[in-house]
Amino acid sequence: MLHYRTEGFNGCAVKYSPFFDNRLAVAASANFGLVGNGRLYILELTPNGIAPLKWFTTQDSLYDLAWSEIHENQVLTASGDGSIKLFDCTTDEFPIQNWKEHNREVFSVHWNLVAKDRFCSSSWDGTVRVWSPHRPQSLLTLPTHSCTYSAAFSPHSPDILSCVSSDSHVRVFDLRTPASASNHLTIQIPIHAAPASPIPGPPGIPPAAVPPSEALTHDWNKYRPSVLATAGVDRTIRTFDIRAPHQGPLAIMPGHEYAIRKVAWSPHLADTLLSASYDMTCRVWSDRSDNTTTIGDSDLMRSGPASPVLGMEMGRMGQHTEFVMGVDWCLFGSEGWCASVGWDESLYVWDVRAVMR
Amino acid sequence: MARERLGQVASHLESGARKGSSITEKQPDDIVVTCALRTAFTKGGKGGFKDTAAADLLTGAFKAVIEQSGIKPGLVEDIAVGSVLPPGGGATEFRAAALVAGFPEDTAVRSLNRQCSSGLQAVVDIANAIKSGMIEVGIGAGVESMSLQYGPGAVTEFSELLESHPEAANCKVPMGMLSEQMAKDRKITRAAQDAFAASSYQKAVKAQQGGLFNEEIVPLQVQWTDPKTGEEKTITVKADDGIRDGITAESLGKIRPAFAKDGSIHAGNASQISDGAAAVLLMKRSTAERLGQKIVGKFVAASVVGVKPLLMGVGPWKAIPVALAKAGISKDEVDIYEINEAFASQCVWCVNELGLPLDKINPKGGAIAFGHPLGCTGARQVSTLLTELKRTNKKIGVTSMCVGTGMGMAAVWVAE
Repeated sequence: MLHYRTEGFNGCAVKYSPFFDNRLAVAASANFGLVGNGRLYILELTPNGIAPLKWFTTQDSLYDLAWSEIHENQVLTASGDGSIKLFDCTTDEFPIQNWKEHNREVFSVHWNLVAKDRFCSSSWDGTVRVWSPHRPQSLLTLPTHSCTYSAAFSPHSPDILSCVSSDSHVRVFDLRTPASASNHLTIQIPIHAAPASPIPGPPGIPPAAVPPSEALTHDWNKYRPSVLATAGVDRTIRTFDIRAPHQGPLAIMPGHEYAIRKVAWSPHLADTLLSASYDMTCRVWSDRSDNTTTIGDSDLMRSGPASPVLGMEMGRMGQHTEFVMGVDWCLFGSEGWCASVGWDESLYVWDVRAVMR
Repeated sequence: MARERLGQVASHLESGARKGSSITEKQPDDIVVTCALRTAFTKGGKGGFKDTAAADLLTGAFKAVIEQSGIKPGLVEDIAVGSVLPPGGGATEFRAAALVAGFPEDTAVRSLNRQCSSGLQAVVDIANAIKSGMIEVGIGAGVESMSLQYGPGAVTEFSELLESHPEAANCKVPMGMLSEQMAKDRKITRAAQDAFAASSYQKAVKAQQGGLFNEEIVPLQVQWTDPKTGEEKTITVKADDGIRDGITAESLGKIRPAFAKDGSIHAGNASQISDGAAAVLLMKRSTAERLGQKIVGKFVAASVVGVKPLLMGVGPWKAIPVALAKAGISKDEVDIYEINEAFASQCVWCVNELGLPLDKINPKGGAIAFGHPLGCTGARQVSTLLTELKRTNKKIGVTSMCVGTGMGMAAVWVAE
């Protein structure tokens, strides 16, 4: 396990470079992101441990980052002052571009993996915005009317993006739909609604199975184009199939003792995901979707509504001594390497296989 | 701005701040157990209860509930009794048993049959009736006299219509045969089964010697005919008589398979044929507090699922995650699992497949060691679980079993 101390700055997000197998970036904030500066670290894994390649200090806190998919030296940051900045590792001190449209804290930025000239952002101002690195203004504004903690493009389609927000909903937007009052919103999944019953009831949204609570993070599965995972304040990870939005969760994974701040699907295994929580742990989960021992019809589309599967905790990492805010999987090398950052001013690079039970 | 950001982070923690699980919280409308007990389990055909009718065992359990809990019999509005073998479901004699035990005519009684989970189903039915407001106080019970009522009469001949449907016809394949097939298909070795069975015996011996069953078992005085002399005696049965000392995986390894020459299932790694009764007194927490009843545990959630009739043994594997999901807890939060040992093979498979640690499974042994009076087991598990949770100062437990014809049931409990 490798360690790097982001001294004076509390880690908020971490991402591996999609271009270099030894490079990663950390977005961090002074004073736990409540007030003060932010800092973007560009770090390299060297034979002598983790070494900083460069850092950029910003006026306000940084909450998220995304590596450019078209330029190996460029990184986007989501800032507390509502701005999104693009930094280049080969320049010093200042961002090469700055977008300021969000009226409140930007909580996530995500680069489109398919149409690589686009990225999106989400904010406390109740909007998701779509941008091009080549244009000074946003291309689109998608309202959610509630604090939106996480937005992401589907890794399987250039035009589909999703977000989760404090109103306990997953929203999926399809940018191919014509511009209309719905603002490209095509699916809205109430995360905390009761799973659909096999017996049809009155139309409308089913009664909430659990009281709604804020959703803080979500991620698209890298192998199953219709599956995404959500998590948040209720300490539970859920997976949904957007083909059957009203059937309720496919799998649920309770276990974290406090709110979950980040979930990330493995780039290598279709059933594996990693979570980071205020309970100071990172946990590895299987949603048991690859269960070869399933008895009967396992295809949801044919078998109809079924009770959610209880996912399995496969291991946990307890090195952090404060809230863990970010995790990311390494795309390169042997499957299992990942990085986590937290409010303990620590970045850990570790192998998930070492904590498996 | 900083204040708003701080408020936001604080709100993330507030709603999720409860360390551990919220199912241990106490609410006035919780369904609670104020008494859970059972008779001893004795060996079918030769044990202490071999000459005692099921309804008499049940009467004994009812009397003990009234005595131990101090509940005024007239307050009990309904009694559900799970039982598998009696003709007519036992409806008539169970109502009579309640009257003998001292319940007034106002107390309703019914019997029900969901095979091996009948006892749990009875308890869950009463819990649900209380939850819905249909009744305020009820008893879920289970009873079986396999000595007197086990036999071919328990299943009606299948009609041609049922026989013509392959999956339906599978419902009547005998448990031993289908479990043998499942053990083969799922590659559960004889050695693994024998090791599990031997540990069940060893745990039960230890528990019995340590007096760990004393709290849940009520002694019962019955008539008993000595098979050697034909003499009728009055005896007091106060301990399970199926528990045998000195059983090891090696000694079990020598027993000949019962269902197939090359099989792996035998008398030593399957549940024993037994007689016994168990009863659980349930009400809302608010009622218990009003009546001054001592609360011993809480009913949280239950699940029932279907599986293939030929794979009935996998029932707990499917039912447990559903019950845990309903309770909103992970498998790791559970301290004790009482999973019925119908056969070592199916129990081992379920435990492994769910990834449960063996030391959390049936800590006082199970049906292999002390018996499985079919309809009684589900109610028995409640008393076994709650006493052990209390003794070890633990909280959360699960009871579960596989069900003939391809089902599984599970329930989540909290000891208080």
